[in-house]
Amino acid sequence: MGLDILFKIAGVGILISVIHTALKQAGKEDMAQLCTLAGFAIVLLWVVQLLGQLFTTVQGVFKLF
Amino acid sequence: MEIVQIVGLGFIVTLLILIIRTQKPEFAVQLSLALATIIFLLVLGKINLVIGLIRDLADKANVSQMYLNTILKIIGIAYITEFGAQVCRDAGEGAVAGKIEFAGKVLVMVLAIPIIALVLETIVKLLP
Repeated sequence: MGLDILFKIAGVGILISVIHTALKQAGKEDMAQLCTLAGFAIVLLWVVQLLGQLFTTVQGVFKLF
Repeated sequence: MEIVQIVGLGFIVTLLILIIRTQKPEFAVQLSLALATIIFLLVLGKINLVIGLIRDLADKANVSQMYLNTILKIIGIAYITEFGAQVCRDAGEGAVAGKIEFAGKVLVMVLAIPIIALVLETIVKLLP
C-alpha cells in the first residue's frame, strides 16, 4: 500500500521547515512564507487524494451511498 | 503478522510527526491524517471478510437485507465520524470535533428511525 507517501510527506515537511529557517536567516521573510505555502499545497494535494480514496473505499465496504 | 507492521509504521511516523510538529504544526496534522488513512486501508480487507461472513449468516437466518444494510451504514457513519472527530481533536480543535460528533449522532438517529418504527408496530400487533 502507499507507504511511501507517508515518508514523502514527512520529507517535504522537514525540507520546508529547513528552507523556511534558511530563507529567514537570509532575510527573505516573504519568500520563506511563500515557500511554506507551496509545500503545504503539495502535501495537501497528496492528503486529499488519500482521503478521497479512503472515503470511496469506505462507501464501497459499508454501502453508504 | 500485519499488526507488527502496523505498530512499527505507527511508531516511525509518530516520531516523524514529533520532529515536524515543533517547526511546522500544519504538516504534522496532515501527516497524522495520512497515517490514519493508510492504516485503515491496510486493515480494510479483513473488515470486508467479516462483513461478508455476517451477510452469509444473515441470508441463512433469512433476516431481511434491510436490517443488515442499516446496521452496516450505521457502522460506516460511526467510523467516519470518529475518524474526523479524532483528527480534529488532535489538531487542537475540540469544538469542531464536537460538532462533527453531533452531526454523526443525528445521522445515525435518522437511519435508525425506520427500524424503531418497525419495532413499535410489531409490539402493537402483539398486544391483544
